[in-house]
Amino acid sequence: METTKTNQASNVDAEMSGVRVPNTVRDNHPSNPHNSTVLLETKDVHIWFGKRLILEKVNLAFPENSVTALIGPSGCGKSTYLRILNRMHEFIPGAALAGQVLYNGRDMYDAKVDPVDIRVNIGMVFQRPNPFPSMSIKENVLSGLHLAQLEIKNPEQIVQSCLERASLWTEVKDRLNASASSLSGGQQQRLCIARALAVNPKILLMDEPCSALDPGSTRRIEGTIRELASDMTVVIVTHNMAQAQRVSDYTAFFLAEEGSPAQVVESGLTDEIFSKPKDPRTNDYVNGLFG
Amino acid sequence: MSTTLERETSQIQPERPWAKQNKSTLVANLIAVIIPTTLLAILFFVTEIPGPVLVVAFFFPVQLLTAGVTTFFDRGKRGIGDAVLSVACVTSFGLVLALLGSVVFSVIARGLNTLSFSFVSQNNIYISPTTEISYGGVGHAILGTFLVVFIALIIAVPLGIASAIYITDIRGRAAGFVRFMVQAMSGVPSIVAGLFIFAAVILTDVVGFSAIAGGLAYAILMLPTVARTAEEVLKLVPKDVRDAAVALGSSRARVTLLIVIPTAKTGLITAVVLGIARVVGETAPLLLTTSNANNTNLNPFTNPVATIPVYIFQFLGTGYETSINRAWGAALVLLLIVSILFALTRLISRKKREKQ
Repeated sequence: METTKTNQASNVDAEMSGVRVPNTVRDNHPSNPHNSTVLLETKDVHIWFGKRLILEKVNLAFPENSVTALIGPSGCGKSTYLRILNRMHEFIPGAALAGQVLYNGRDMYDAKVDPVDIRVNIGMVFQRPNPFPSMSIKENVLSGLHLAQLEIKNPEQIVQSCLERASLWTEVKDRLNASASSLSGGQQQRLCIARALAVNPKILLMDEPCSALDPGSTRRIEGTIRELASDMTVVIVTHNMAQAQRVSDYTAFFLAEEGSPAQVVESGLTDEIFSKPKDPRTNDYVNGLFG
Repeated sequence: MSTTLERETSQIQPERPWAKQNKSTLVANLIAVIIPTTLLAILFFVTEIPGPVLVVAFFFPVQLLTAGVTTFFDRGKRGIGDAVLSVACVTSFGLVLALLGSVVFSVIARGLNTLSFSFVSQNNIYISPTTEISYGGVGHAILGTFLVVFIALIIAVPLGIASAIYITDIRGRAAGFVRFMVQAMSGVPSIVAGLFIFAAVILTDVVGFSAIAGGLAYAILMLPTVARTAEEVLKLVPKDVRDAAVALGSSRARVTLLIVIPTAKTGLITAVVLGIARVVGETAPLLLTTSNANNTNLNPFTNPVATIPVYIFQFLGTGYETSINRAWGAALVLLLIVSILFALTRLISRKKREKQ
């Protein structure tokens, strides 16, 4: 706790002393509407697959209790960047990383940090719904607590509150012991959100959570995301411009120029990225001229 | 107005328009079936060539040709490929079915008369090769087979599943080597496995001829089957599911134990059953490790023990009518045991599916 404070303090010091970290959401927008601290931040992050550099110099900060959307064309490393944020990238053979990823002001790739602790605090929802097929709905919600070996007090209440927050409770309350695979795709994805919420993470990473879903389910999940943002930090990758505008407070635009690694072209408040982007490429992308 | 509507709807019947055959197709198919079979029948009754030879060397090529030609006239060039492929598939299927059926049929036909309650419940003490079939039986050998297979399971299943997990989930540095060794092991002839255990534990006086020695030899044969099947089954667990578990903050061990293994449970049971099926009829390794016995021996560590394959071998070698009947009876018992085993696993996996 002590180290965290000093670290945060030193960050502030660094900024005050004029050391500018370019491209951070916070820097571009000192008038942070949430007026909150930064919980997660990446500094000069570069990502490689084998020898190929795919993402270059990403500096982004994610303020607490806000939703940040990562947008950009396919294959520009958004999902890979997201997996950097909870240490899922390292399972890919040949993966490499440079730069710092600070969680609570502390580098999460420090040798002393247990990656399992990071993943408990930073949950993830994947592109395709992936409930555990061998478990019931209820067991799925509680699975994270079992897997992370956390204490389970009052399981019934956890199940209900998590399913309620994921707006699935009314649909499944009468069949909590049914298999998770009996649910529809949209319900399965909301179950996955409930499952991620049960371990009570501080941050939730979502990798195109609605790309496989129908509009109705998408609307529900977007509503859930907005509600979560009241006490949770959400980072969402999306290809859907309208969705980014609907759910996010901040937006970062990723783009890979022909033959060179991807970079963050522009980041800032979602309203400004979409209404008056500074970079012409951002303007073209958000207006659907390419990508 | 409403009456016309009603009449119209009542006239509409469910149909399957895609299943309609036009006449030329029907004729072509009929010709393609009748010509080869007629020729086959004529040749079979007129010449002295044995039936199986006729089927393989004459009927099969003629059937392919006729089907190809008739379909060409019916549907043109595109039809030939379809016709040839379906004829090849159907005839191969028929051939395999006939082979399998004749094996099962001969075992049932010749073993059924021997089968009785006393035959499966009594042992072989005081039984000579010419003793009447109503005395003595394979009871001791059934128990012995269960004992030896059980010992092999205790050894081979944990090892096999563990090596599969090593290859698919842990992906250690030696994974490729382990996979290679497992594959190489599946080529070990069963008598070599028996000889190895004979040299390793019996000649060195660790144990004598006993169920445990037989179990060890069976385990060598069972291990590659269990490991390879388990590997295939574990590979089927989607990466998404493993990712989800890791992202929830699970250690690697708990991902495997709480997520991967339960997800692949039915497949792993199949792996075990296939392992049993692989060894249960093996005779050679047991001749060198369990030897044979006439009494019931449930002590796995000492004294020879009887097993069904060795019992069959013992009685088949004597040449007496009743002994040979005993051997067929024992073969039927073995077949039944394996069938019951397969049926049980099917039942288990189906029950699980119904629950979902």
